[in-house]
Amino acid sequence: MAPRIGVYVCHCGGNISEVVDIQKVMESLEGPVDVVQIKDHEHICSEVGQKLILNDIKENKLDRVVIAACSPQFQGITFMKTMEHAGLSPYVLEMANIREQCSWPHYDYPQEATKKAIDLTKMSLAKARLDIPLEKKVIPIGKRVLIIGGGIAGIQAALDLGDAGFQVYLVEKDPSIGGKMAQLSKTFPTEDCAACILSPKMADVPNNPNIKLMTSTEVKDISGYIGNYQVTVTRKALYVDPDKCTCCDKCVEACPVTVPNEYDEGLTTRKAIYLPSPIAVPHSYILDDKTCLGLFPLACSKCKEVCEPNAIDYDVYPTEEKFTVDTIIVATGFDIYDARQKRVYGLGKYENVFNALEMERMLAYAGEGKPLKDIGNRIAFIQCVGSRDEQVEHEYCSRVCCMYATKLACLLNRERPGKEIYIFYTDLRAYGKGFEEYYKRAQSEGIKYIRGRVAEILEDPKTKKLTLRAEDTLSRKIIESEFNTVVLSVGLIPNEGTRHVAGLLGLSRSQDGFLKEAHLKFRPVDTLIEGVFLAGTVQGPKDIPDSVAQAGAASSRAISLMNKGVYEAEPITAQIDESICIGCGMCADVCAYKAIEITVVDAHTGKKTAVVNEFLCKGCGTCAATCRSGAADVIGVSDHQISKMIEVM
Amino acid sequence: MKNAASKYWRIPLDADRVKTPKGKIHILKERCKGCGFCIEYCPRDVLEFSDEFNEKAYHPPRVKDEKLCLCCHLCELVCPEYAIWSTEEKDEELHHP
Repeated sequence: MAPRIGVYVCHCGGNISEVVDIQKVMESLEGPVDVVQIKDHEHICSEVGQKLILNDIKENKLDRVVIAACSPQFQGITFMKTMEHAGLSPYVLEMANIREQCSWPHYDYPQEATKKAIDLTKMSLAKARLDIPLEKKVIPIGKRVLIIGGGIAGIQAALDLGDAGFQVYLVEKDPSIGGKMAQLSKTFPTEDCAACILSPKMADVPNNPNIKLMTSTEVKDISGYIGNYQVTVTRKALYVDPDKCTCCDKCVEACPVTVPNEYDEGLTTRKAIYLPSPIAVPHSYILDDKTCLGLFPLACSKCKEVCEPNAIDYDVYPTEEKFTVDTIIVATGFDIYDARQKRVYGLGKYENVFNALEMERMLAYAGEGKPLKDIGNRIAFIQCVGSRDEQVEHEYCSRVCCMYATKLACLLNRERPGKEIYIFYTDLRAYGKGFEEYYKRAQSEGIKYIRGRVAEILEDPKTKKLTLRAEDTLSRKIIESEFNTVVLSVGLIPNEGTRHVAGLLGLSRSQDGFLKEAHLKFRPVDTLIEGVFLAGTVQGPKDIPDSVAQAGAASSRAISLMNKGVYEAEPITAQIDESICIGCGMCADVCAYKAIEITVVDAHTGKKTAVVNEFLCKGCGTCAATCRSGAADVIGVSDHQISKMIEVM
Repeated sequence: MKNAASKYWRIPLDADRVKTPKGKIHILKERCKGCGFCIEYCPRDVLEFSDEFNEKAYHPPRVKDEKLCLCCHLCELVCPEYAIWSTEEKDEELHHP
């Protein structure tokens, strides 16, 4: 029986009709008997347009629909829902993209654009004739979530999901959760103490019965698909039993090894056995086996000798743990740009040049009344170090540096009056809520903002004072001035952990190296892998409010998937014709989603064939293009359909 | 500062306030049979082979940088010839880790 096809051509309120001659397009489609009706509409995506399609399907008994309008990425889902309402399979709908791929780029050539629109629509028509009414595949989905990264974004997502009754596995590679926020002195623009607002949240995590917190743990492997992700984690040996440790600090006094303290960015020392930070959660000492004098053979054991509760055990080893989750939230955060690569600024060479995170730590100590160092009265901040800099291939703006420099300047200024603080900036970006007011307030407090990049810093070898040379681009004057301390406002960069996790999950990355979202505007926390979401700075530089908001968004997206109990997967997947397949394995090699396995189907003859895991397959078609024997094909976008599309061109 | 992450280049600002044990290494060169255990097992990498020969024609170890020694006594535990031991310097002098 011949199909009954309805064609709709959209004007898109002039977006298409101003360039493409809609009438001509419609006329060109007339003729074939299976094209039952051809209609145009001002906005076919509007409610009126959708109702028109619904009515036509009922009255004219249509079983195929072709819509010539915008990109299916944009409105495809809208029309697929319309098809479902009408009782048809959403996979007998074809969309010809005559806006993004025709009227917009060929604005100056209306005649040619009309020709192209006709071709595109005819191709969709040819494909529609061979469409199969596919049904969505249903996967059962439970209520377990893996959150990778225990910074503020990971903590927020874990608490949101835990409170909603979902089983959360929160994995953090460091010995304590809290991330970079735990290192900050205060937060802009309200100047809340970072530790004071973060530590209650951190304390909530182990208290929540639905959250399983795994610190000092790294994700080793992830396989599977939405609703069935198999996760393997490696838990480092801690050597100190957190349940027995009373935090009496005697082991620290006994330990002979001193190393730079990571929590203080190397500005202070710690021992090989130590408390990760004063606000650490879980609050327990740990032994750093990399800097300890040695456990194999045991070299020292002074800490164990003084430990009264007998909490230290050297005879423990890293363990592996496996569990299954349904969805994953990636919140692996960022790293700061290593400003030693910008040699002109002298970090790593001059002792009075600091990066901003070091200054945060120094201010935190000064706030407690225990200053680490006298930083003098004349202080300069240099903005955009490692951001907006094509020389180091970081073209993006890190979004937080203008405001954290302003905050640090205000705090320094208030700490002891009589300071002169200059901020050398490229452009000042005070875009967020309360930011502009904060910037104005900083100016009124006497912070001087100078527009211009610093060319060079020179150190006086005797006094250790620093001479800055810069151009004030507003007054067009060369400034050469001496400062006691220079702070580099370093940008945010993607970290090593993100790369590792992206590799495990097959997540794509943007040009800047941060992880890429499914759609910048409409799906900002989703990824192209089903059931994997992004939260916080892993997706791009963000301040704390944005990270928290995104964590909330990611958890709500995860909840909306899991709450239904079932997940409907796309039916457009690869299929293998076993009678043709010779089991050469080329398709399995090229599959980006690891969805194809080569298995022996006949033990007697040893015949091998490729088998597609239809839940992992995304229907990208790489296997079909690679297959030499023509055994691999994609259901719904078959080779036969594509040949027919080319024929009508 | 062995094994410390290279990310931290600065001498910690509180380094002068931190006290670490200071070891003094004693070597009886003539007893040494050059097995190299002390050099291999020293967790701070304090020792190395010297160029000189002892009476038995072995290269005894020599101290590379005594400041690094934390007096853990491991060299004296592993030495089969009782040829090396360390003692803790009791003077209250502070030194950088």
